[in-house]
Amino acid sequence: MSPLDRRQFIKVTAVTGTAAALAACGNPEHQIIRFIPEDDLVPGVATWKPSYCPLCAAGCGVVARVMEGDAEVFRNGQAGVMRMALAKKLEGNPDDPVSRGKLCPRGQAAIQVTYHPDRVAEPLKRAGERGEARFVPIGWDEALAEVVAQLDALAAAGETAGLACVSRPRGPLRAALVARVLEGFGGRAPVAWEAMGDDVLRRANGVSFGSHAMPMVDLADSRYVMAFGADFLGTWHAPVTFGVGYGRMRQGRPGVRGKLVQVEPRMSTTGASADEWVAIRPGTDGVLALGLAHVMLAAGLRQASDAGRAGAAIAGWSEGLSEYTPARVEEITGVAAARVERLARELANHPPAAVLIGGPALAHTNGLFHALAVNALNALLGSVGQPGGLVVPPDVPAPASPAGLASLLEAAPTVLLLDEANPVFDAPPSWRVAERLRAIPFIVSFGSFIDETSAFADLILPDHSFLESWVDAPPAGSDSSPRVAGPVMRPLHRTRSMPDVLLDVSRRLARPLAGLPETFEAFVSAAAPATPASASGPSRARATADAPAAAAWAPPRFDGEAGEFPFHFLPYASQNFLDGSLAHLPWLQEMPDPLTSGMWSSWVEVNPRTAERLGIAQGDIVEVRSAHGVLRAPAVLLPSVGPDAVAMPVGQGHTEFTRYASGRGVNPLAILAPLTDEATGMPAWSATRVQITRAGSGDGSLILFAGATRERPDTHEGR
Amino acid sequence: MNRTLDRSLADDLVRPLFHTSVWFYGLALALGTVVASGLAAWGYQIWNGIGVTGKRWPVFWGFYITNFVFWIGISHAGTLISAILRLVNARWRRPVTRCAEVITVFALMIGAMFPLIHLGRPWLFFWMAPYPSSRDLWPNFRSPLVWDFFAINTYLLGSLLFLVLPMIPDFALVRDRSTGLRRRIYGALALGWQGTTKQWHRLEAAMQIMAIAILPVAVSVHTIVSFDFSMAPVPMWHSTIFGPYFVAGAIFSGIAALIVAMAVLRRALKLEAYLHPMHFENLGKLLLLMSLLWVYFVFAERLTVWYGNEHSEMSVFWTHQTGNYAPLFWTMVACNFLIPFPILALRKLRTIPGVVFASVTVLIGMWLERYLIVVPSLGHKALPYSWGTYGPEPIEIVIMASTFGAMALLYTLFARFVPIISIWEMKVGQHPHRHALPEEDEEAAGLWRVRP
Amino acid sequence: MPYRWGMAVDADRCTGCEACVTACHAENNIPTVGPEQAARGRAMHWMRVERYVEGDFPDVRVKFRPVLCQQCDAAPCEAVCPTYASHHTEEGLNAQVYNRCIGTRYCGNACAYNVRFFNFFNPVWEKPLNLQLNPDVSVRGVGIMEKCTFCVQRIKAAKTVVKAEGRALRDGELQPACAQACPTSAIVFGDLNDPESRVSRLARSPRGSKLLEETGAEPKITYLAKLAWDESDAR
Ligand SMILES: Nc1nc2c(c(=O)[nH]1)N[C@H]1C(S)=C(S)[C@@H](COP(=O)(O)OP(=O)(O)OC[C@H]3O[C@@H](n4cnc5c(=O)[nH]c(N)nc54)[C@H](O)[C@@H]3O)O[C@H]1N2
Ligand code: SF4
Ligand code: SF4
Ligand code: SF4
Ligand code: SF4
Ligand code: SF4
Repeated sequence: MSPLDRRQFIKVTAVTGTAAALAACGNPEHQIIRFIPEDDLVPGVATWKPSYCPLCAAGCGVVARVMEGDAEVFRNGQAGVMRMALAKKLEGNPDDPVSRGKLCPRGQAAIQVTYHPDRVAEPLKRAGERGEARFVPIGWDEALAEVVAQLDALAAAGETAGLACVSRPRGPLRAALVARVLEGFGGRAPVAWEAMGDDVLRRANGVSFGSHAMPMVDLADSRYVMAFGADFLGTWHAPVTFGVGYGRMRQGRPGVRGKLVQVEPRMSTTGASADEWVAIRPGTDGVLALGLAHVMLAAGLRQASDAGRAGAAIAGWSEGLSEYTPARVEEITGVAAARVERLARELANHPPAAVLIGGPALAHTNGLFHALAVNALNALLGSVGQPGGLVVPPDVPAPASPAGLASLLEAAPTVLLLDEANPVFDAPPSWRVAERLRAIPFIVSFGSFIDETSAFADLILPDHSFLESWVDAPPAGSDSSPRVAGPVMRPLHRTRSMPDVLLDVSRRLARPLAGLPETFEAFVSAAAPATPASASGPSRARATADAPAAAAWAPPRFDGEAGEFPFHFLPYASQNFLDGSLAHLPWLQEMPDPLTSGMWSSWVEVNPRTAERLGIAQGDIVEVRSAHGVLRAPAVLLPSVGPDAVAMPVGQGHTEFTRYASGRGVNPLAILAPLTDEATGMPAWSATRVQITRAGSGDGSLILFAGATRERPDTHEGR
Repeated sequence: MNRTLDRSLADDLVRPLFHTSVWFYGLALALGTVVASGLAAWGYQIWNGIGVTGKRWPVFWGFYITNFVFWIGISHAGTLISAILRLVNARWRRPVTRCAEVITVFALMIGAMFPLIHLGRPWLFFWMAPYPSSRDLWPNFRSPLVWDFFAINTYLLGSLLFLVLPMIPDFALVRDRSTGLRRRIYGALALGWQGTTKQWHRLEAAMQIMAIAILPVAVSVHTIVSFDFSMAPVPMWHSTIFGPYFVAGAIFSGIAALIVAMAVLRRALKLEAYLHPMHFENLGKLLLLMSLLWVYFVFAERLTVWYGNEHSEMSVFWTHQTGNYAPLFWTMVACNFLIPFPILALRKLRTIPGVVFASVTVLIGMWLERYLIVVPSLGHKALPYSWGTYGPEPIEIVIMASTFGAMALLYTLFARFVPIISIWEMKVGQHPHRHALPEEDEEAAGLWRVRP
Repeated sequence: MPYRWGMAVDADRCTGCEACVTACHAENNIPTVGPEQAARGRAMHWMRVERYVEGDFPDVRVKFRPVLCQQCDAAPCEAVCPTYASHHTEEGLNAQVYNRCIGTRYCGNACAYNVRFFNFFNPVWEKPLNLQLNPDVSVRGVGIMEKCTFCVQRIKAAKTVVKAEGRALRDGELQPACAQACPTSAIVFGDLNDPESRVSRLARSPRGSKLLEETGAEPKITYLAKLAWDESDAR
């Protein structure tokens, strides 16, 4: 440092004056300050208890920091203040193979589930019309008696198959126990519903690799990763594990830095981190994948036979994929032929390499084809199961029959158990979920929150939060032992653990169910590492069922004729709310969206060129119209979506989901066409076309944290 | 002749003290209401928090600091001008000095309120002041806000003395013309003034010292106010030109405020005989000079920024020139230069209405200038992700309006209780041959001597 | 030798996921202000992930840059604070004494990074969200400034532990909440006085630079540049 720079000069002159005035000496600043915050800090002593994040299918292992605090609770029929152990913060559990000591932003916010002011604190009974969300409190005994009476009536009428259950994907042990209860009663097999789930990919993996598990990539050792639509660093099925690997892939190996190529029509968080971003026409990903394979085969970089079973699932594979020449690929996908060549060579020449596909890339009428194509490409690369390559974990049960929820609703059950799934909000409108729920005589929800679906329930029997109960998470990677943890704290409210309530009910039935464990805790403790798979019912014999005729390219079908509906409508799982199930957490509502910086809002992402053409300015309200509905939301102008598409985050637009989410924004799923992936029946939520028009100037509903989008904005950008 | 003239002059000038019209009560009540609404608004803001204003991240300063700088600028009307005019012994100054000095004192009082109104926790304002506390905690003398504290208080104290000293003989005059309680109050205020030669000598010497001492204080005050900005690494704040630029702007707006105040007084108190077109014309010339100086500073500031082409400064530059703030910027240029320049430059237009009109536009323009210094820069700092904008909420407008009300109220009250034109200085002025010391002339001195 | 806390942020690792943003809220009792106030620019994110878009479709690139208090060694926010509420500690932290702040917001202007946030209103935690508050961190009231503290409560706790155990602090043992959460380990925290600590080594990296170094604030956070891929990288 220079002997006397200007700040020091000011310091010295000022402080000399002060010091003279005070007749003090020594380091003046520290003389002047007699209290510094660190000295005022007396850190409390905490204990750390393990649990599992329940917010997405990854089930990250967490540790909760537990400290004493005074909570207003209800105990033994009395309200009062009790000093109890309270979870204060969640961190990733360093010993957990999924979280590896880290968490995603949603996992950080998961603690707000427990302390949410709008949690259902006691059993509720419907007091208004179905869907009106008016409830009155009811005692547990009374509520359970009502459930028991309904089930006894079913059994007496010999209609036990009228009992059905829909849940969000839960831990395998919990799912297994629920399945056993339903099976014991004679009800339908429970259905797990997730709006933007990965069933297409699971099925494809069954065909290509004989396992229905979700794939991972050993990123830490990878030199080249290409992802089609899979936002694996943001929202996909294990973002934390992928994130940990990604950090190492970039900077974990001296001298080696892996390349990430992201292929998608709208830039995701992962795309934003990629070294190369490839814009592709929606619904054509498989063609690019096979085009890459074609180049490798044609150049002799790999042999067709390298792909084995996965290759066999693709029509024309052994003939060298002659239909997928770079020129043809360019024609279909819009990716330049030369680029296809270059990418293919890079991919082939930088082993270990891996290719991923997921999310919107598979939400097309030809979704399965894309997944099979990418699987075949992976197999061709020869990195499946290799260090740095694609990891396909051991088989898990195949996903339920195509769109299990749709067929369940069609079967019109008499008693429906709802375990936190919210299909009224997020199932395709064509399934008319609300209408069908209205027709079900008796609905019991175990939800912790009143949402659009539990608003239809006759009874809400609130579950404990994950921190208050035994939880389990899916086995991680190649280790098939279940991950289980006990409660971190005592319940805050008059809630009961859902599996325990089911067990309680099965004991109270006129004909109690036999062979069930006493409690979920007992069940979980007894579960041998191998149990979870077998407990989920028959699942081993579906290899044949999964093997359709070799997949061939069929152009995607889009709903809406391109003349009238010129834009692809690309909904995407939001970094904050995933499919919308987390919109009730205030931290996530106020967390700026990584790309747009939006908080508490919905928006439509429009390419600036499109916007200019249509006279749309940032924040203007645009009307998005499909053949099936219309919505209005403010526009955000971003070049990360093509001029022929508009994109929208999923998650807002709840009509009933706590004070933080209700009435906020719009739900893009509500205007989707009833198209499905033809091979699996899963909703093709990227296959709708829309028209957009400017509907007015901004109404203040767009709340952005950022002032400008570019680091060197032109004069007028920003505010 | 002189004697009668003196007498009528005194009659004229003390009349407002003895004859109160209904208008006065009406006006005082109306202005009092405006001020009270401002105080109520401030109370509401203290109770709820600064969030009731339009301030936000990252534009943490807004209307209040704008008004702070504006009013401190206005305060340069009085003391500074009157001191200069005193020192150069400009004769035409006599009817002008007191109304000018009063502006200084009141504008300073109002201006100094704004940093307090602006505080997040105004009840702890005294932590900015050095006082011995049990923790031995002193304010941070490195902070320009602490410099402000000293500068403004010094200027306020100095200006108050500068105002009050020459009021003493006039208080004595009023004392002698009144009875009862009024006599006792003005008697106390007159501090035992008897008009002795010694007293005149002392007064004159004190005025001379004050006039010299107050000049550097006045210059330093607005320089230090400019340091509030230029010390922070904020684009288009961090500039060495700010000291003189602020002082020039302050004098500019100060003169404009003085002209407007004089015009109002002239009308309201029927002082046409004392405030002549010549006074307005002379002040108008001063205003013209300051307008040219102001334009020069604005140009010099902008030229260097533009030439330097540093990106965060350029973003502020362009937002002024062609961006969101361009309408305000060009209005400011019109108000401070394009409109007043021709009016003030052409003798034909330099009439009382002309000069007053020019002054009003200058006041508007100078307010806008302060706003344009405070807000766009804070909204366009170096990291564009953190850019933001600001607009005032109604409460800020109410509080701002109430300070204009407060100025008018204080002025009205002052003119009601104190001769707004320095009577003795006028008398001295009417005896040009004894302009030096009144008591040199026995007769004149006798005029002032109080009969026992 | 006293500690001198510093940080390195690796843009080549950062994915813009914002786990750090939420982690900081959870650790430091940062309130949410709600949609109305957020729309009025009152949202508080001690840690924010700046996003800059470059180029046009289809050649779009995005840069993420986590921005938090840079714990400047010549911090202008300290010089301008009239009450020493913002001041420097012996360990090089820019500390904020909430009690001492009178809310001039001058520091917020002086900070070139715009990382200081003001409590425009009293914060609200709808019951029972208050139960989640970290007892080691004071809750700030209306009218005061707050900002990233480098999780000073964790620093204090770690120092207490090592003192009790009579040993030196191990590199990496102490992590602020953002670094602990960050999946990609883009954030590295540690003692700059220990030349062998990870953060010291990263601070010497040729990829490293300081943000807005030209303002002369002597920021203590090293930003490691994002690299462009070329064939040789993957060998
Ligand atoms: N577990 C447990 N808890 C207890 C007790 C117990 O025995 N066991 N005892 C209880 C009893 S009896 C008491 S009195 C309380 C004491 O509880 P506290 O009052 O919290 O006691 P200390 O920790 O001694 O002091 C608090 C802080 O004051 C700071 N301090 C020291 N001198 C000064 C000063 O001049 N000015 C300022 N501002 N701060 C200063 C110290 O650095 C310290 O961080 O604890 C109660 N709590
Ligand atoms: S990825 Fe995030 S939301 Fe999913 S389990 Fe892990 S921490 Fe929870
Ligand atoms: S980053 Fe800003 S708040 Fe932090 S020390 Fe530097 S100037 Fe102060
Ligand atoms: S807002 Fe508080 S910390 Fe900032 S300068 Fe003012 S008193 Fe100091
Ligand atoms: S160091 Fe701590 S306070 Fe600072 S941003 Fe990270 S988590 Fe927040
Ligand atoms: S948590 Fe890490 S990777 Fe995610 S945004 Fe923050 S610094 Fe970047």
